[in-house]
Amino acid sequence: MSLLTATDLSVTYDTKNSPPTRAVRGVSFSIEAGECVGLLGESGCGKSTLGNALLRLLDKPARITGGSVTFDGQDITALDETALRPLRWRRLSTVFQSSMNSLNPVLTVEAQFRDVFTTHTSLTPAEIRQRGAELLEMVLIDPSFLRFYPHELSGGMKQRVALALALALDPKLVVLDEPTTGLDVVVQRSILDSVRTLQREKGFAVLLISHDLGTVLEVADRVLVMYAGELVEEQDSAGMLRAPRHPYTRGLLGSYADPRDEDVDVTYIPGRPPDLSLVHEGCLFADRCPEVLDRCRTEAPVLGMVDTARVACHVAAAAPVSRVDLKSRFTPRERPSDAPDDVLTIEGVRKTYTTRRRGSVAAVSDVSFALRRGRVTALVGQSGSGKSTIAKLITGIERPDAGSVRFGETEVHALRGRALRAYRRHVQLVFQDPFSALNPVKTVWQALSRPLRNHLGLSTADARARAASLLSTVGLPVGFLERYPHQMSGGQRQRVVVARSLAPEPAVLVADEPISMLDVSIRAEIVELLDELVRKRNLAMLYITHDLLSARLLADEVLVLQSGSVVERGPALSVIRSSEAAYTKLLLDSLPNPFAKTDDAEDSPAASAPPVT
Amino acid sequence: MSITPQAVASAPAPVDVPLAPRRGRVPQWVRILWANGKSRVGLGLLAVFVLTAVFAPVLAPFDPSSAEFEAGLAPSGEHWLGTTTQGQDVLSQLIYGARTSLLVGLVAGTFATIIALLIGLTAGYLRGWVDEFLSGLTNLALVIPVLPLMVTLAAYAPVRGVWLIIFVISVTGWAFGAKIKRAQIITLRTRDYVTAAKLAGDGTMRIIFREIMPNMSSLVVVGFMGAATAAVGGEAGLEFLGLGDPTTISWGTMLYWADNGGALLTGQWAWLIAPGLALTVLVTAMTLINFGVDALSNPALREE
Repeated sequence: MSLLTATDLSVTYDTKNSPPTRAVRGVSFSIEAGECVGLLGESGCGKSTLGNALLRLLDKPARITGGSVTFDGQDITALDETALRPLRWRRLSTVFQSSMNSLNPVLTVEAQFRDVFTTHTSLTPAEIRQRGAELLEMVLIDPSFLRFYPHELSGGMKQRVALALALALDPKLVVLDEPTTGLDVVVQRSILDSVRTLQREKGFAVLLISHDLGTVLEVADRVLVMYAGELVEEQDSAGMLRAPRHPYTRGLLGSYADPRDEDVDVTYIPGRPPDLSLVHEGCLFADRCPEVLDRCRTEAPVLGMVDTARVACHVAAAAPVSRVDLKSRFTPRERPSDAPDDVLTIEGVRKTYTTRRRGSVAAVSDVSFALRRGRVTALVGQSGSGKSTIAKLITGIERPDAGSVRFGETEVHALRGRALRAYRRHVQLVFQDPFSALNPVKTVWQALSRPLRNHLGLSTADARARAASLLSTVGLPVGFLERYPHQMSGGQRQRVVVARSLAPEPAVLVADEPISMLDVSIRAEIVELLDELVRKRNLAMLYITHDLLSARLLADEVLVLQSGSVVERGPALSVIRSSEAAYTKLLLDSLPNPFAKTDDAEDSPAASAPPVT
Repeated sequence: MSITPQAVASAPAPVDVPLAPRRGRVPQWVRILWANGKSRVGLGLLAVFVLTAVFAPVLAPFDPSSAEFEAGLAPSGEHWLGTTTQGQDVLSQLIYGARTSLLVGLVAGTFATIIALLIGLTAGYLRGWVDEFLSGLTNLALVIPVLPLMVTLAAYAPVRGVWLIIFVISVTGWAFGAKIKRAQIITLRTRDYVTAAKLAGDGTMRIIFREIMPNMSSLVVVGFMGAATAAVGGEAGLEFLGLGDPTTISWGTMLYWADNGGALLTGQWAWLIAPGLALTVLVTAMTLINFGVDALSNPALREE
């Protein structure tokens, strides 16, 4: 008998003010003891809702409206809280994306372990300390960290502590809901490697929820793909890698490539998931599907076996080996080989931050490079390597302690007040997080009008026309002018952020991790947009990222930054394809790449990498 | 470059994005206030007081300050709440008194909120020495015992009357709100959209009051409700202590005269209890509204 079985499970969000949203619809699957199952889908596909339903963590206004969940032979769909309590943590535990922030800030790590053990076991204080130390070692943290407080740990370490806490009572099933989203690639890789090793050693089952097919395929034995609240494909990882059946799965898989390959191209899935509060006819994916058939529009597909996979798709059922090329594809191309002029030069820049607690930290030391017209320079490195500090120095938000930032004749590091404001017209920033870069109470028009009026001095009517043309530049319809940020998807917001940065007609665009907060499936779309802008508007771009794949796709020149210093630099192709520095290799190996699974995953160099603080 | 034409034309389909339901002219915070049961009761009660104040000349049976009646009458058919020792109609005074209380609550609450916004937002956004100075001022205002200060200001002021009391309450009641707003803007000022506004060339004042402040409107409403409630109580207290103009018609002065006139001894219960009860109900109404205001500042409390 399976460890966990969901049968025809449905979850509905029912609020007074809006029509009910059916976030999970008739999902059935099972997880065997000791198995690692991946649950995959874009944001808003209902995967977290499903995970919370399995844990019975749904809160009003969401509730289970149909079907059942059986865990370890017990129907937990209707258990009351008192009956659930002994089950949770002891046999069924979880780590969320936000788990690192759910550690109690006023308790040491040891005290958090003590809480868990005294509630659920009768261990003595000495035994608890012993167990705590073992658990920390298990997640590759030195036991001396037991007496630390959460704020003294890095994000990756906090997430490891959360994982150790979740595993403290040897649960049978652990639900990991986006456990590494928001952490940088190297940390992400090492945490997932820990999960995989522990899972094999201890034999607990894992449900790994993620939007990142690359990581899921690397870690999981079997993968469930969810779209718009429904299960659309279920297959073992090897099979899915070899023959993804559903066009959606194929689209997700197309977002990955090995940046070291000779030819790299990635695909993306245009559009966004449907609104589940509306009634739909036919296949929910039909509007975005590149292979859509007539019957997809009228008849909803049901899960059925195609070879070894369970797929809900007319296309896959009709032609199980169809290999229609996905149309939304981005292939990087060489730019013209002439040597354009330098627009902005940075020379010997140094910046040191002094904090009361940690003394002084050299964020950037002795970095020099130039940005050129129509070219993209990528700064690559982990969080804390000084990438964002350089962005702040270039935009004049921070001043260097030594060295110079020059824009033509302008000495940027010496600008103040009015001159600084005038300079910013020429250097604009594309932000990382499209959800915080737009003011939630302002419409797109209001956001776009400010730079047009301030920097270009346009009248309302002229600004309006210009704003409309900016929107079409970034591929959005003019109707979006009246939208508020919450009415747009992440990708659409990021397009607006790009449009705003273009508004004052800058010469330099600084893109600070512009795709890292976006779903993997739409990243290539934004990379393509940036590429087009550099090409058509002859912009100089500084592209900041921790992701060497996107750097390979977009950049002409790459600088690899470690702890504030450049460890490797050169043309993008040669830095990535024949990297010399060990650090560059570590970054490359940490990239989630499902196609690399054919090698034995155990000997990936990141597995033995020290936890990064 | 080989971006296929399909890819270039692949801008997100505009059709499948639902627009938020048309909200009309009712702002969201009003709808949230109304959605909460307790705050609906509070709003209803407040509406009764506001209507009473607005239509006082219509509702009041007599001129509240005319002393033409027999003094110290017990409640009767003609004088529902009796008359004062000066021979004024208590009910008419009660109805006109609503005007003073609401006026003081509204105006002093508004002034205190404006001062709190200016000081709190400027301090929190600019940080540095400006923050040091303004925070010092705020802390000073917080540690000074407010009641003695109010009494002293009111007692030694060259003029008497409602506007003095409004002034006194405004300058003593802003500090707490300023502190909350400073704390809030410190968390908001590092948002990317603030940096974006700087890069868009917006000035500091515009960023504070046009970009950031709309994002804390619920906090502003919370601050106003708190300040207005305190102002109503403060006004009654000062008047009761005789620090207002004793000829003003207000619930505070009614209590003052009732106390002076020995209403308790002469058994004129209505004269004493009516203004006290009115004050209690008004403050209760505002407190009930605050339940809804809580839902404004904390979405988890909203009744879905």
